Amino acid sequence: MRSLRRGRWGAFLIAFFISLAQAQSEERLKACAGCHGTDGNSTLAGTPSLAGQPRVFLENYLVLTREGLRGTKVMQDLLKGVKDPEIVAMATHFSKLVPKAGEGAVDKPLFERGKAVAAKNRCASCHSADYRGREQMPRLAGQREDFLAEAMAAYQQNRRAGGDTIMAASLYGIPGADLKALAHYLSRLR
Amino acid sequence: MIIRTAIAAGVLLAFGAVQAQDKPAPPPAWHQGKPAAMGDSKLAPLAGKMTETPASEIPIAKVKVPKGFKVEIWATGMPGARSMAQGDKGKIYIGTRTIGRVYEVTDKDGKRTSRVVVDKLTQPAGVAFAGGSLYVIAIDKALRFDGIEDKPDVKPVDLTEKFNLPKEQHHNWKYIAFGPDKKLYVPFGAPCNICEPPTKEYAQIRRYNPDGSGMEVIATGVRNTQGFDWHPKTGEMWFTDHGRDWMSDAGPEDELNRIDKAGNFYGYPYCHAKGVVDPDIKKKDACKGVTLPVATMGPHAAVMGVRFYTGSMFPKEYQNTMFIARKGSWNRTVKFGFDVVNVRPSADGKNAKVTPFMTGFLEDPKEAKFWGRPAYIHQMKDGSLLVTDEQLGAIYRVSYDGGKKK
Repeated sequence: MRSLRRGRWGAFLIAFFISLAQAQSEERLKACAGCHGTDGNSTLAGTPSLAGQPRVFLENYLVLTREGLRGTKVMQDLLKGVKDPEIVAMATHFSKLVPKAGEGAVDKPLFERGKAVAAKNRCASCHSADYRGREQMPRLAGQREDFLAEAMAAYQQNRRAGGDTIMAASLYGIPGADLKALAHYLSRLR
Repeated sequence: MIIRTAIAAGVLLAFGAVQAQDKPAPPPAWHQGKPAAMGDSKLAPLAGKMTETPASEIPIAKVKVPKGFKVEIWATGMPGARSMAQGDKGKIYIGTRTIGRVYEVTDKDGKRTSRVVVDKLTQPAGVAFAGGSLYVIAIDKALRFDGIEDKPDVKPVDLTEKFNLPKEQHHNWKYIAFGPDKKLYVPFGAPCNICEPPTKEYAQIRRYNPDGSGMEVIATGVRNTQGFDWHPKTGEMWFTDHGRDWMSDAGPEDELNRIDKAGNFYGYPYCHAKGVVDPDIKKKDACKGVTLPVATMGPHAAVMGVRFYTGSMFPKEYQNTMFIARKGSWNRTVKFGFDVVNVRPSADGKNAKVTPFMTGFLEDPKEAKFWGRPAYIHQMKDGSLLVTDEQLGAIYRVSYDGGKKK
């Protein structure tokens, strides 16, 4: 009888903590949406869109940022102490949102130049033929142009710590004007 | 490669002094040596998993071992778990790469709990234990934790300067171990897929006194060793070495080598496996003076931990034979490895026979469908083996009961 009662209490407590965790999780997703957009498509300068990013990429990014190994100070502080199941939930959530193509008009010559730079440097062999990314390799199609430009510049100048060294090496020697074109091209894809 | 060099040269000309101050960076290390014919290849390193995996999500029943052996989940919740070192009082220390942590597992009353000893390091893959101290070697740091089994919060002694770690990172995450001579053995991989190493500090195995003094180079021409052990009878060191990428699905195969005398040259970057001449880095008589491997271990297999079995639990035929983990290939269209094999050479290195021992992690080689990647093997006092799964951050225990009734 006593164990039965304890069992009931246990079940109640478990249900309570699950709902508490869900509430926490929803709170945190709201906080993400504040900068990254409610639908995961960012309208804030310099802030990346998360919609449609591969789940593994998001998980890795979130874990390594929580560990203080990569990301920005703001993101590191936001993620401090966040447990793995919540990170998986966040990553799953954003991976399922529908990405939009980047805002703004298409500059045809710049777009074509970017397309050629991407082909020459074989960006697609890891980021997929349509640049939607896969596994640990992020989606580039439809990402914000300003974010892409800054991220690539940061890789080139070794200012982007904690990630794999592959990207810095892949971008080595590509002139700034080509990177600009690349950012424009990728941002206008969907 | 030529195209990249040309681009780099163009940039230097165009931007002159601004760019000249930066030393030319190499192309991506995993990408080097990729021939034009493979330019559109979609092969890329396989994604690791950096979140905890509970035991309930590990399909352990899929693991196959020979009759009479049993596999069970021993510990979980340690993303990226690689090599293991056991303390004098039984605690197990585990290194990782990307996630930057070292774990400690305590086994008490049949239950395992783990904690993070140190984090925020750059790939602290190397762990070793001697004289009551834990040694951790990351790519750019060497630390010693004295008396850690009793003092969980002990501050580490920083030995980084003593070990003189070179600056290139690629292939310089480490497996480390103390030899029978009480010296600490540390490898320094080639910082590329295939290249003439930029300085003499790379593509070699060294040994040091535990405090980092008395460094000696004991083997050269070693591309990337991620595991070694010493023969229980001869005391000779045997080590695994990863073959280069982007040549073909067929190889060159990974190697199992034996050091019969200090100073041997193992062939990288000119000569691979049992005499495969490199197509990119050419040298006359490429395989002359090269100590060839005892056995080839399969194409792109990613041979990891090596353990000579000296326990009393397994049948006699396993005594002094080796268990070797093959984490599995990425640079191959049809995947290979993802298992633990048993290797039985004679003590002089002849007739090494490779037999699958622990399989079932790779479900569809053509679709790259796998769920686990065995990485390192540790022998417990009772003769059972612990095997880390780097993919799921877990440790499995392999024991033998001779097929006794349950």
